[in-house]
Parts: sequence; C-alpha cells; structure tokens
Amino acid sequence: MSYLPCGQYFESYLDDQKWWRTPFIKAKMIFMLVVVLALPYLVASEWLSVFYTINYYILAALGVQLLIGYCGQITLGHAAFVAVGGYTSAMMILFIPWPTFMVDSGLVYPISIICAGFTAAMWSVLFGLPSARVKGFYLIMTTMAAQWITVPLVITQYVSQIGGRGQSFSLPPGLIKIGPWTIDDDVKIYYFSAFLVLLCLLAMGNILRSKIGRAWIAIRDNDIAAETMGVNIVVYKLIAFFVAGFFAGIAGAFWISALFFVSPEHYEWFYSLLWVGIILIGGVGSIQGIVFGSAFVVIIFKLLEMGVLGISEFVMTSYPEIGWVTTKIIFFKESAFGLAIIFFLIYEPNGLSYRYWQLKNYFNLWPFSYTGK
Amino acid sequence: MSAAGDPGFKGEIEITKDLTLPKLLVQQCEKYGDSKVAMREKEFGIWCPVTWKKYLDNVKEITLGLVALGLEDGDKVIMIGDNRPEALWTEMAAMCAGGVGVWLFQDCLMDEVKYIVDHSDSKFYVAEGQEEVDKALAIRDSCPKLKKIIWDDPKGMRHYDDPMLISLDEVMELGRKLSASEPGLFEKLVNKGKGDDVCLLFYTSGTTSLPKGALLTHYNMLTMGQNLMRVDPCTPSDDFVSYLPFAWIGEQMMSISCGLQVGYTINFPEEPEVAQANVREIGPHVMFAPPRLYEQFTRTVQVKHLDASWTKRVIYRLGMKVGYHTAELKFEKKSTPIYWKLLRFIADKVLFSKIRDQLGLSRVRHAYTGGAAMGPDHFRFFHAIGVNLKQIYGQTEIAGISVVHRDDDIKFDTVGTPIPETQIKIGDDDEILSKSPSVFVGYYKMPGETEKALKDGWLYSGDTGFIDEDGHLVVFDRSKDIMILRDKRKFSPQFLEARLKFSPYIKDALIVGHNRPYVVAIVCIDYNTVGKWAEDHGINYTSYTELSQIPQVYDLVMRSLSDVNRSVPEAAKITRFANLYKEFDADDDELTRTRKIRRAFVENRYKDIIDSLYSDTDLLHMETNITYEDGRVIEIKADIRIQDVKEGGKK
Repeated sequence: MSYLPCGQYFESYLDDQKWWRTPFIKAKMIFMLVVVLALPYLVASEWLSVFYTINYYILAALGVQLLIGYCGQITLGHAAFVAVGGYTSAMMILFIPWPTFMVDSGLVYPISIICAGFTAAMWSVLFGLPSARVKGFYLIMTTMAAQWITVPLVITQYVSQIGGRGQSFSLPPGLIKIGPWTIDDDVKIYYFSAFLVLLCLLAMGNILRSKIGRAWIAIRDNDIAAETMGVNIVVYKLIAFFVAGFFAGIAGAFWISALFFVSPEHYEWFYSLLWVGIILIGGVGSIQGIVFGSAFVVIIFKLLEMGVLGISEFVMTSYPEIGWVTTKIIFFKESAFGLAIIFFLIYEPNGLSYRYWQLKNYFNLWPFSYTGK
Repeated sequence: MSAAGDPGFKGEIEITKDLTLPKLLVQQCEKYGDSKVAMREKEFGIWCPVTWKKYLDNVKEITLGLVALGLEDGDKVIMIGDNRPEALWTEMAAMCAGGVGVWLFQDCLMDEVKYIVDHSDSKFYVAEGQEEVDKALAIRDSCPKLKKIIWDDPKGMRHYDDPMLISLDEVMELGRKLSASEPGLFEKLVNKGKGDDVCLLFYTSGTTSLPKGALLTHYNMLTMGQNLMRVDPCTPSDDFVSYLPFAWIGEQMMSISCGLQVGYTINFPEEPEVAQANVREIGPHVMFAPPRLYEQFTRTVQVKHLDASWTKRVIYRLGMKVGYHTAELKFEKKSTPIYWKLLRFIADKVLFSKIRDQLGLSRVRHAYTGGAAMGPDHFRFFHAIGVNLKQIYGQTEIAGISVVHRDDDIKFDTVGTPIPETQIKIGDDDEILSKSPSVFVGYYKMPGETEKALKDGWLYSGDTGFIDEDGHLVVFDRSKDIMILRDKRKFSPQFLEARLKFSPYIKDALIVGHNRPYVVAIVCIDYNTVGKWAEDHGINYTSYTELSQIPQVYDLVMRSLSDVNRSVPEAAKITRFANLYKEFDADDDELTRTRKIRRAFVENRYKDIIDSLYSDTDLLHMETNITYEDGRVIEIKADIRIQDVKEGGKK
C-alpha cells in the first residue's frame, strides 16, 4: 500500500489509479524531470557517457525485470535480444537503399528502432515458447540457449558475414540521424537515451497496471492459482517475452548510436548476467529498482575504474620496480562486482528499491514506526 | 446564566415553527441539485458519491414505498445497522411520510431490541442485513405491532422468504409505482409537516434504569443545530465522517441537524473495522465523538511513540514539551512570547502536523467530545498537538447539546458556556437545569418521568455542577454518583476514572469510596497495550484473565495509579486496587451502549471484590458468568489479587 496523506480520497477508480495522486508526488516527479534535463550542464562531460550507459542498462534490464520480476520467468539470455535489436537497426541503416529524402529527413533510424523492437520481440517469443512447458532452472537453460544460438552462432557466423565486411559493421559518424538532429556527441546521445528511458518506463508502468500486468503478476506469484483463476498462462508468458524482447530491441537499437561499430562482442553472455545482477541489486519486481540497479552498477564500475587507474598510475610513477602489480589489479573491477552481488544477496536481498521504500516509510510514518494501532 | 454567541453565521437559515427536516431537505436539494455531493460511501476502495438530487430521489422513493406499505402519521420506524447512506435515507423517508424515526444500537442484544421495539410501538423495522433481520424475526412474536421488516444488504438473505420481509429495493419499487399513480403525493406529505411534530424517538442509554424514549421535534433538532453553528460555523464544503452509531444523539446532531442545514458532505466508511483508516482518508473538518475515541487516539500515540526509533522518540519528547508549554499558556490566556511561538511553529512543522496526519486530524477545525467526562490530560495532549478539542455538554433530552467551549476560551475542567438561545442555571442540590428551544417534549409513554425531568420548561438534568468565576459550567458528576470522602469532602469518581484512563494501560476503571474509609479502584487493563508490554518484557500469558493477574502487570498499573495520586487531595488518593479479570462490557450491562459505566450495577456485581478491597485479604476467589455477543453465557473461575498502592496513597 502506498502512503497517502490525510484528506486524500478518490471518488472514482480513474482518480485512484492516477500516476500523480498528490501534489507532493507531482512536485517530486517534476523535480526529477528537471534534474534529468539539466544533467549535461551539471556534470563534467566525461561523466555523460556514464549516464547514457546507465540509461542503456535501464532499457536493457527493463525486459529482464519484466520477465523475472513481474512474470517470474527467469532469463539468462537477454543480450541475445538486445543483439537482435542492435543488428536489425544497424543493418537496416546500412544495407537498405533508402530513398534520399528519407535519409535526409532523418526517418531511417527511427523506423529502424521500431523494426528492431519487433524483430527482437519475435525472436524473444520464439525462445519463450519453451516456457509453456518448463519452469525455473530448466527455463534458465533454454534462455541461455537463446544466447548461445543467437550471438556466437547466428550473428557471428552468418549475420556478420553479410556484406563481406568481416566481423563488425562500422557505423560512420553522421549516419545516426533522427529528424534534423544528427546524434554525434555525448550530450545528444544522453538526451536521446533519457527520452527513450522515460518513454519505456512509462509504457512499462502502464502495462503493469493493466489486465496484462496483473496477469503477469498472478503468474509470478502462483502460476497454478493464476491458471485456476482463468489466466491463460501460456499466452501471457509469451506476451511477456514479446514485450521484454521489444524493450531489448529498442535498447539494442539505441546503443548503436553510441557505438562506432556493431560487433558480437558487444553482446556477450556477460551482459545477460550483468542485467540480472542489476535487477537483483536494484530490487526484483520494482521499476525504480531497475534505475537504482543500473545507476549503482555503472557508477561503481566507473569509480572502480578510476580507482584502479589511479593506483596503477601512482605505482608506475612512484615504484616502477613493482610495476607488474598493476597487471594483477586490472581485474579488480569485475571481481568487485561479483563481491557486490554476494553482499547484496546476503545483506540487502530485497535490493536498493526496498531500502528506498524503507527510507520513504521512515518519513511517512514519522514520528512513529508503524501504522495501525 | 444565559447564552452568548453570534446571532447569525454565513448561510444561516431561518427556522420557523413551520419548517421541518423534510422541507429543509427538499430546499437543499433544490439548491444544490446534481452539482454537489451530499454523501459518499466507501465501496470497493473508492468513495462513491451521492448527489443531493440522488439523495432526494432515493428518499422520495422510500417514503412513498413506506406509505404504500401502510405508514401513517406518527407511526414509528425503527432502524438498526451500520452507518450507511441507506440508513439516512430511511430515516429521512420516515420523517417525510410523517412518521417517527427510532434508532437501535447495532450491537443491542435481543432483550434490548425487544424492549425498545415493543415500547416504541414500531410498525416498521429497517434492518441492514441478515444479522439484524434475525434479531427481528426472533422477537416479532412478542411485538405484535410490528408489520414489516425491511432489509437492504442482500448478503445471506437468499433463502429468507418470510412474508414479513421485504427488501429496500422492493420498497423503492413500490414507491416508484405509487409516485406514478399519484404524482405530487410526496410533496403533499412533506408540506403537511409542522415544526412541532415529533420526528425522532430517542432512547437514552440509561445508566440507572430501563431506557427512556425522549420525543424530539423537528424544531428541537433544527434549533439545536443552528445554535451550535452560531458558535462554530460549518461550511458547505466541509467533510464529515459518520461512523458513530446513529442511535447516539451526537451523530444525529452532526449528520441531520447540522449536516442538513449547512449542506456539508457526509462520508460513510466501508466497514466499521476500517472506520479509523477511512476517517484518515477523508480528513474531516468537524468531528464529534465520545471521550473513548479520543482516549484511543492518545493511547495509540503513546504506545506507538514508545515503539518508535530513538531519534523519533527524542524529537517527539522535545516537540511535546514545546506543545504542552504553549498549550498551557493558551489555557491560562497569557500571551505567548515570540521565541515560544517560533519553537511552536517548528515543532508543528516537524512533529504535530505529522501526528495530526497519522490520526486523521489534519483538517479538523472543531473537534468535540461529549457524552462523558474526559480527563484534563487528554485535553492538554490534543491542544499540545494543535487539535482544537472542545467539550460539549448536553443530553438527549435537549437534542444533544446545550453548552460548549468557545475557541478562545477553553478550560479543560469546564464544559464551556451555553450556546445561543440557551439558559443554564443551578437548581436545588446543585442540579444543572437548562432551557432552550431544543428541550424535548417528553418521554414516550412515561408521564411520571416526564414530570420529573420537565418543570416550567426547565430541563432537570440529574447532573451536579456549578458555574465558575468565568461563567463556565462545571459538571461535577451525576448527582447520585458523587461520593463523600472520609474528610466529608464531595468528590467525583468520574474525575478520577478519567484521569486514570490517560494511562495507555488502563482501559476502564471503577472508583469506589462513598462513605468509606479510603478510595479503591477496580481496573480493567487495555488488552492490546498491556499485552504488547508483556510480550516486550518476555512475560507469557494466554488470556485477558491471566494477563490481568500477573504481578508485573499489577506493578505497571500501580505506577499509573501513583501518578494520579500525586495530584489529588489526600483523602481522594487511591489506596487499594484490583485488576478485573475481564473488560467492562455493554453486553453484560456494565456499560451503556455509549460506554458509560453503570455504576450502581457494576458496584453490585463486583461487591465481593469491593468488600475484599476494604478487608485485609490479598487474594479473592471468584466464580462468575460472562455473556458473549451471541448470547452465550460462560462461567469463569478466577483468583483476583488485591494490591496496595505503595506510594502516594495511605491506608
């Protein structure tokens, strides 16, 4: 139950289900929006790439959250669908002989994003089919199969060979264009990503409070009970895979705007794991959790990177005789991430969003510690 | 002593001897139509609105339906059930048709229902659902005047096919048919009414004897509401939550007398169990409740404060110090220094506004308590947190209210000054007498009682009191309850009991000491609070009876008693006490339905305990009966410990 101040009541379900039910929430949201818009002017330019990476992870982890957090379908192959999105978009831009006016008016990329969404969605549904029969660990295996089939096999061995350019498709600067805007610097990438994140979070939030969202949650909580209540679980699971794939496709299509070339190494299995890690850190079954998790992971990585680089530089200049140490600490970053997940699972199993919820409650319940008598 | 107050308030209506509640309803509905919400009921999570037009339409249909079923002038319609729009519609419908409304407390046992249905000569019995219908079916053979039983909640009613039963929907259908065949009948019925017609037959809770039925007229109800609002005006945009029993005059006064005159919105909670949460959602502007509700509020705050984290506790304690100090200055009518004002402002923002929010009192402009005595500690508490709590004094016989505090003139040991058009004087034996246009016309079928209560237009209250130097009325106690202490001083047991109830661990108490060597108390612990306390301290218990007799609990209660003892005269100090093995309960006739203690009855019932309190024994073996709500009687055996209050008291 969300907290509402005294004197806040609703005469219709429409009001009851509104996004912004109190002036306080409205103010909070507007403040957030202002911060998002003003961010490029608030932080050093080298940090902008950090923020759009966060946004990319949010977009990618959105589908993971949907499948794991809201529909209970554990997935470990989400990078495959992001890859499908990225490749669809890139190939549409590169290989389709678009009429000049469409290229000039910047329609190609937006169209390719939508197509990327649908292609990835269909690909995701294909690998979601086994979920009709298998659950839990077995589903993890089938989604992992999606990863292995898609990235190392289909993309690396076949798709990448198209056009005879070798392993990767290079994306010349100036190619990515939305309407009159060419996405060619960090500020533009950031705004573009922020726009997509807002759009997708809004879509996700709205789906979740619809019949479909409620059906997913029912399946997550107890699939047998859901089926007994008349939820067609196969259909709704496939819808979940479709929507999750769609978000993944958009994430993939967005990410090419930040890349110079598309290659299979951008979609390694590590990313599938990372995005699951993000929702575990952020909080399973929470939309804010995706944001918290992505921000946490990316910023921690950035800080670790800065730390490792700083130490390396210090060692190299002050004690060059033990310079070999620097090669040993280079992988601290990855191990620290592993450690973070372990600590989260032990000490904060409900993720950052739960901590946030507790923080809000601390003030909502002020000056007491619980509601009721 | 006569009244002082504003002669008029914004939106005041003119009350003539011709005006009736139904006529007022029609006027208001014409004024507001579909543009304003008359009432809301929370159903399936949202507050479903009923506009004034819809309100009138429903009342009209029910009125004509009742007429079609044979309701005639002066016939009684008895109603029982939770607060809900249908309840108010039927009550208004009964009045529109020229009938008289009678209300029963919903938790009345069979005997009480039978007595009142029979005594009031009710022709129609309007029940909420199955439970109330069952009560009616069980007693109808002994109430031959009863013609029809009307119900509106279909839950569990599918297999009831008794010819005496009819659903409210069917009644409304009858009304629609009659309306089609005789258009204008409703208006004719409404116009027929006169202000001096009896509209309500109100059974008083009766702390001493069988309930008496007070007859109240439209004029009584209207003038009372108007005079109250001359003191504290309400506005049409106000919200009010109706969740206390309609059978309590206070609820009638807010929902009917004031609500109809000013046209504020009445809100009905989803279920009685969630009423408190629903009240918080609405955040009413006005509320009137008996002290037990406010006592519950303070108890909640005290207990939750103790369970809060360290920072929150510290801030609470600091804030409350500021609150109590500034409230004290206000009571003493001293000017508040600027730095105290500043501190008060900060404390209000940081603490009080949040406490008010948690209690659902954020928007309260006037909060009234009445019906029983409330301890000064509660008053201090509410004014400390910035709730404008005021005392009301009145009786059913004067349509609810005659005396109230003014906003800038609150003294917590008084009940205030009379409302306009009301005179108060002190008669022989210090009895409080009052006179106003709202004084009732008499008791139903009890001329002897009427004669005792009404002399020359003065209402004899049976309460003892005096008027203090500021012109405030001080109500001492019921005349027959006043005790004479060993130093021949008069003392009010109610005062001590109210003080005791400020302790979160004490729910009820009975003080005995009339013509006795010292004062003793029988205490009912609060099961929730003491239970929680016991759990926190690792004390095991299985039942109320066991919990109440644990020595540590005795010590806990004793600390509260000692606190009270410190501030009362030597002879009034509580010297010995015992924890009762059960709570006082209206089903056992120990309390009235408004939870006032029936002192004589209780003293007689627990005579053994009282005798032991005045003897040297430390343990008393009891065997007694408890009546449950469904009428089952259970025998319990218990050993009652008797304990001296160590400090503060002297044997």
